[in-house]
Amino acid sequence: MDLLEYQAKELFADVGIPVLPSQRIDRPGDLKALRIPYPVVLKSQVSVGNRGKAGGIRFVENTIDAIAAARTIFNLPILGEYPHVLLAEAKYNTSQEFYLAIVIDRLACRPVLLGSTDGGMNVNTILDRIHQVVVYEEFSSFYARQLALKMGLKGEIMLAVSEIIEKMYLLMRAQDLDLVEINPLGVDRDGAVMALDGKISVNHYAVGRHPNLQPWQMVDVARNRLGTLSPLFNEVGNIGILCSGNGLALAMLDGIAQGGGQVGQCIVVDPACSEEIQIALDRIGVNVNGGERTNSPPIDVLLVNFVGSEIDSCQQVMQYLARDPQMTIIWRVLEPDLDRLEGFLPLSIKLVTNFDRAIAQTLKLAKP
Amino acid sequence: MTIDLQLDSRVLIQGVDNPLALAAIGRMQTYGTKIVGVVSAGQGEQKLGDLPVFDLVSEAQASLGPIETSLIFVPAYRVLDAALEAIAAGIPQLIVITRGVPPLDTIRLLRQARITNTLILGSGSAGIIIPDRLLLGIYQPQLFSPGKVAIISRNQSLTAEIASELNQANLGQSIVIHIGSDPLVGSSCRLWLEWLQSDPLTEAIVLVGDICWDSEAATAAYLLAQQGKPVVAYLAGIHASTPHPLTDAAIVLSHTLSKPIYHSDTIQQRLETYKRAKIPVAKKIGQIPQLVKKSVGR
Repeated sequence: MDLLEYQAKELFADVGIPVLPSQRIDRPGDLKALRIPYPVVLKSQVSVGNRGKAGGIRFVENTIDAIAAARTIFNLPILGEYPHVLLAEAKYNTSQEFYLAIVIDRLACRPVLLGSTDGGMNVNTILDRIHQVVVYEEFSSFYARQLALKMGLKGEIMLAVSEIIEKMYLLMRAQDLDLVEINPLGVDRDGAVMALDGKISVNHYAVGRHPNLQPWQMVDVARNRLGTLSPLFNEVGNIGILCSGNGLALAMLDGIAQGGGQVGQCIVVDPACSEEIQIALDRIGVNVNGGERTNSPPIDVLLVNFVGSEIDSCQQVMQYLARDPQMTIIWRVLEPDLDRLEGFLPLSIKLVTNFDRAIAQTLKLAKP
Repeated sequence: MTIDLQLDSRVLIQGVDNPLALAAIGRMQTYGTKIVGVVSAGQGEQKLGDLPVFDLVSEAQASLGPIETSLIFVPAYRVLDAALEAIAAGIPQLIVITRGVPPLDTIRLLRQARITNTLILGSGSAGIIIPDRLLLGIYQPQLFSPGKVAIISRNQSLTAEIASELNQANLGQSIVIHIGSDPLVGSSCRLWLEWLQSDPLTEAIVLVGDICWDSEAATAAYLLAQQGKPVVAYLAGIHASTPHPLTDAAIVLSHTLSKPIYHSDTIQQRLETYKRAKIPVAKKIGQIPQLVKKSVGR
């Protein structure tokens, strides 16, 4: 779960990372009650990057300008995403901008501290000049100082930056974050530091044990679970895929793609969870309620693969599918399970005992 | 760290609250796995079937004697505690079946496991099966048949599919190891590749993963390519996927960081790693048996 900037900054403030005075703006009219003195910056609160270049950040000097700018930003999609909230923030004069982040290195199974004295918008510059420190053992402040020194900092500013890194680490540990990033960390002429923009990703497995974060969990959980593979298929396809694992789904998507077919829906479900199954079948266009069809389904052929799952749950799914005899279904089955499933078989379902053959048959039936 | 897969290895179960654990216990007992007891806090001194139940791992051990392996089924947020408890009691190998363990918990667990030299399989592992000999985990044994091909996998459902393909080609499996579906896992592909080199039952190895898998498998296979037993790889999602958009610094960085050795974070680079290691990559699942046969010179 990616937090929006204003949410990240609330968490920063909680652990004592300095942030500018700011105010959340839910509608342009809120600016009439602005408590921050002008000039202010209005920032679109979207989860995608590059909002500055897209026009999602504007400087304003007075209320009239601010309301007009807010209207514009609320109506400006950034990579397709409209903001629901803006952040009004005091202006800050930086003399330097740093990049700081902590991520989890999956391969080393350890957190890694990252830093560069070239922060800001230019990703390539950051990447070129990035320094890293792997947190091998229990975290302690010296890891933060190691990074600050590697970044080439000395004296007071080295200590100030390492203190920020330490606070970022404590935040990461306290809230189970996958990523905490400050970019840029502004440094003014007196050497004071300020988190000007921030990004936080909360680990999705861990959200459940952080009740304070749950109100921010904006994504519809059910939709998200079913949609994890959504970027992987072409929505105009006439083939549906229903299966029990991501790897299996990818293998079937591969097979269909290699054979020149197009997948319209690919859904990974637990066959033992009838609620999930019903949502999935409904999305695919199977008429789970039975009776007369009112619309023609977008999917012509449904390829089902629950290999390795309990036969009882497979029988359950077949019963749902039997309610819609118009959908053509290819069901991949293991040879030993054949006998136990055949008795349940509605006419619309064809059992195939080999993975590649199941794909070939699906492709053949899906040809217009 | 030693890997002990003796057939008479004594096994403990931690956590029996979910139906998955109960079904798995039944299957393992039928298969002959020597489950000696169950730890379930609050249910001490009760019985689960014919198995004694204890409140603590240390109590189980005091009463039952040395235990070689513990299978952990507790809910995700309690995995760290259960595993640390088993480590403190001196159990040398843990299989974490539970999925969805928060990464920072895994990091802490692995830090302790390194100190004590404890083997951790998972989290999110379906376990290990040596067909007709040993079942440790939640696999359904009827999916597998004895043979000479080892499978190291990151995908439970794909494993069943590939085992079926090997069965149909009369190759069977010497052992199937599911190293876990969670993003962070304990024992690596590399560790198991090394172990398999001296496994007398194994003649060839199939690596099963998908494009979301770290390049760890490719890298490990590359490093070990000279060691002997032939390896065949299968990577799901090569043709269907769109590459992960490397849109901002954070994603780029974590991608870059996850692959510090060869930076093979794109599929093509990973395929290239396999190619340099002279490891064939199956284009289809159905091609795997043929590549295995070719690699062992049959």
